[in-house]
Amino acid sequence: MTGSVSDGCDRPLVGRRAVLAATTGLTVGTSGCVRRVRSIVNRDGIDQLSLTITTVPADGDRESILLARAVRAAFEDAGMDVRIEMRSQEEFFRSVLINHDFDVYVGQHPGGVDPDYLYEALHSRYVDEAGWQNPFGFSNLAFDDVLEAQRAADGDDREEAVADTLEALAAEQPFVPICVPDEYRLARTDRFDGWDDASLATRTALLGLEPVGDDADDRTLRVVHTDARPAENLNPLMVEYRDQGGIADLVYDSLATETDDGDVTPWLATDWEWDDGTMTVDLREDCQFHDGETLTAEDAAFTYRFLADTTLGGDVAAPSPRYRGRVASVESVDDLDEHRLELSFETGAPAAERALTVPVLPKHVWEERSEVPSVPGVRVAGGTTEALVTDNVPPIGSGPFRFTEWQERDYVAFERFDDHFTLEDGVDRPEPTVAALRVSIDPRSTSAIERVADNDADVTTLPLESYVVDDVLESSREDVRVLETPSWSFYHLGFNARKAPFGNPRFRRVVGRLLDKEWLVEDVFDGHARPVATPVTPEWVPDALEWNGEDPAVPFLGEGGRLNETAVRDAFEDAGFRHDGDRLRVSR
Amino acid sequence: MLVRVLTQLLVVITLLTIVSTAAFVGRYRLRDTRLEWRRRLRAVAPITVLLAVVLLFNSVARQVVPELSWILDWNLTWAIYDLEGQFIVWLQSQATPTLTAYFSFIYIYGYIFLLVFPVVAYFALSNTRPLRELLAAYTLNYALGLVLYVFIVAYGPRNVMPELVEALLYDTYPQYQHLTRQVNRNTNVLPSLHTSLAATVTFMAYRTRGVYPGWFLLATVLGISVAISTMYLGIHWAIDVLAGIALAYVSVTAAARLVGRWSASTWLRNRVSSIRKR
Repeated sequence: MTGSVSDGCDRPLVGRRAVLAATTGLTVGTSGCVRRVRSIVNRDGIDQLSLTITTVPADGDRESILLARAVRAAFEDAGMDVRIEMRSQEEFFRSVLINHDFDVYVGQHPGGVDPDYLYEALHSRYVDEAGWQNPFGFSNLAFDDVLEAQRAADGDDREEAVADTLEALAAEQPFVPICVPDEYRLARTDRFDGWDDASLATRTALLGLEPVGDDADDRTLRVVHTDARPAENLNPLMVEYRDQGGIADLVYDSLATETDDGDVTPWLATDWEWDDGTMTVDLREDCQFHDGETLTAEDAAFTYRFLADTTLGGDVAAPSPRYRGRVASVESVDDLDEHRLELSFETGAPAAERALTVPVLPKHVWEERSEVPSVPGVRVAGGTTEALVTDNVPPIGSGPFRFTEWQERDYVAFERFDDHFTLEDGVDRPEPTVAALRVSIDPRSTSAIERVADNDADVTTLPLESYVVDDVLESSREDVRVLETPSWSFYHLGFNARKAPFGNPRFRRVVGRLLDKEWLVEDVFDGHARPVATPVTPEWVPDALEWNGEDPAVPFLGEGGRLNETAVRDAFEDAGFRHDGDRLRVSR
Repeated sequence: MLVRVLTQLLVVITLLTIVSTAAFVGRYRLRDTRLEWRRRLRAVAPITVLLAVVLLFNSVARQVVPELSWILDWNLTWAIYDLEGQFIVWLQSQATPTLTAYFSFIYIYGYIFLLVFPVVAYFALSNTRPLRELLAAYTLNYALGLVLYVFIVAYGPRNVMPELVEALLYDTYPQYQHLTRQVNRNTNVLPSLHTSLAATVTFMAYRTRGVYPGWFLLATVLGISVAISTMYLGIHWAIDVLAGIALAYVSVTAAARLVGRWSASTWLRNRVSSIRKR
C-alpha cells in the first residue's frame, strides 16, 4: 500500500489511491497528532521558582526590611526570582496571621519564655486558625505527637520531651529562626528608680517604681513608645495591633503573671491548687473593673469560654487569635462561687499554669461583642465577631491603670486605678506608684532617645533599634541608665507550607542553609543579637542545638555571607529539585 | 520640643521673606500695596477661602486616606524599587556633610520659604491674577494629590533602604521628625507633594519672569533643590518627583484656564440685584 500513514503529523500523503486510506488515515493520524500536542500542552511548566517575601517597612521594623533584603539577595544567588512586599504592621499581621496570604515572610516572632508556646505555634490542629497559632500551615502528625508529649510531661521528663521537640523542629524547619536581638532600653533615674526590678517586656514593668525626690506622689510617668499602634487600637484580642510591649496589658489583670524567667506567680488569684488535671483557683475579693462593676469568678469563667470562641457558640467558631494557645489546654471551666474557679486540663501543670496568664475580661462589656459586625454592602467573612475588630476604646479592665484619653497616633493617657488590689494593705505585689501614665508615640529610636535625654520622657518601652545601640552604650550620662533586658522574641523566616514547594521539608532545609545567620547578625544588627538554631531561651537549648560558630542544624552553604553556588546547586538537586546553574526550577 | 522647632522655623522664614521682599519687590510696589491692599484682598478672598477649605479637608482626610488605601491595596513600592532603586543608591553615595546640611535646610526651610514668598510678592502686584492663579494651583495640587494618595500605597526609599539614609535628615536632626510627622503619612509618597508645590512656584515664577526676573532665577534654583532634596534625603523616589512635576504642570495649566472664569463677586452682585428686582 502506498500512502500508509504512520505519523499523521510529518509525512504528506502522496498518490491517488491514498485518498481512501487518507480518509481513515487522516482521522487516525490527526488524532495521534492532536494527542501529542495535548500531551505537550497539558504538561505544566517547570519554571524558575518565583516568590514574594512579605515584610514591614523600616518605619515599622528597621531590622525586618534589612533582613528581607539580605534574604532576597541570598535567594537570588540561589537562582530564585524574588520580590519583596512591604505592608504596614497591621496589614502585615493581617496577611500573615489572619488571611495566610503569603509565600514566605520575615519578621519577629513573640516567642515565649516557656517552650510550650511551640504547641500553639506548630500543632496541625491550628492550621486553619488566625493568630500566632500555626500561621505556617505546618502539619505533621509525628511532630504533633512530640508537641503533645512535651505538653503532658512534668518535671524532669519535660526537659527531655522539650529537647525531642526542638530536635524534631530543627529537622523540619517549618520556619527558620535567625536570631534573638539584644534588648536595650533607656530610663531616666532622676525622677523614678527601681527600673531593673522587672523586665520591661512583662506586665509588672511599670509597676513598683520608686519616685525620687519631693512631691513624688502625683507624678506622671512619661513613656515614649516607638510603635504607633497602641494609639490606634486597644483591643487585647487583636493580633494585628498587639505584639510586644504590653501597653494594653496595663489595663487588664490576669489570674497569674509570668515573670521574665518563666515562673508563673499569683496575681488576681491569691492561690491555686493542682490536683491531677483539676485546678481550683481562689480569686481576691473586692476587685473592681474601671467602670465600678465587681469582678467575680463569673467574669474569669466567661473569659475562658469567650477566648475559645468569641461567637459563644455560633455556627462558625471564632477563637480569639491572641491567647488561643494558652486557653486551648482548658477542657472545662466552672465558677464554683463568687471567688472560686475550677478549671480542668488534659495537660501537665506547667502548661496549665500558662492558661492563668490571659487577661480577665469584663463579661458585661464583652458578651455583646459576640455579634457579627456589619458593614453596609460588604459580606463579612465567617468567623468574624465584633470582639475581633473593635478598637475597644475606652478599654475597661481591672488592671493597675485606667484609660483616660488619647489622641490618635499621638499619645495615650492613663491614670492610676486607686481601687486596684495591689494598693490594698497587706498585698505584697508590685503596685502602680505613679499617679498617671502618658504614652507618647515617637516612631524612631533616635528621637525617642532624644526625648529621654532632654527630660521629655522617663523611659523607652520598646527595645531600641540595633543601629543606635552602639551610640547609646558609648554616651554615658549620669541621669540616664541603659537597661538590658532578657529577650525571647526572635527574628525568623516563615514559610507558608500551604503552597508548593514550601510544604516540602527538604526544600525548607536547603533554604535554611542559604542564610548565614552569624553574618546577618553582624550586617543587620551590628552584632547586637545572637544567632540561634532553635527558638527557645538558652536554658532550654539541648546540647545538640547549641550554637557553635555555625548552625548545627542547617549549616550555611558558603562562607562570610557569600554562598558557594556549586554547593547550593548540589543541595537543591539532592533535595530533588532541578537547578540549571542559574535558575532553580520547580513545577508548581 | 515642637514649639522650639516651630519658633525657629517662623523666625527663619520671616527673615528670609523680609530680605527677599526688599530685594525683589522694591519700595514702589510696597507703597502701592499700602494704598490698594483692600481691593486686592477682596479680589483674592474667594480663592483663599477655597484653599483654606481644601487644606482643612486635607488635614482631616489624611487620617482616613491610609485606611482607604489599604482597603484598595494597590501597593507600588516594589515596582518602583525594581525600576529605579539603583538611582537612589547612586544619589545617596554622593552624600557629604555639607550637602546633607544644605539639602536638610532646603527640605524644611527652603521649601516653606518657596511657598510663602510668592504669596507676598504677588500680593505686591497691582494685577491680582498671578496671586489668584498661584493660590488656585496650590488648591489643585492638594486636591489632586489627595486623590492619588487614596489609590496608591507606596513607601519611600528610607523605608526600603534605611541603611542608606540613616545618617540623613531624621537621624542628623531628629527634631525635624516632630515637625514632619505632623504632616506626612509614610505610605503617601507618590506623587511628591513637596516637589509638586515647589515646581508649581517655579512654573509660576516663569510665567511672571517679566515682572520678577530675579525671583524666577532664585525660584528655579530652589525648586530644583527641593526636588533633589526629597530624593537625597531618601524620602521620595525619582518617579515620585517626576509625578510631582507633572502634577505641578497640570495644576498651573488648569489654574491659568480656570482663574477668572467665574467671579464670585459678579455672581453675588447678580444674585443680589435679581433679588432686589423682585
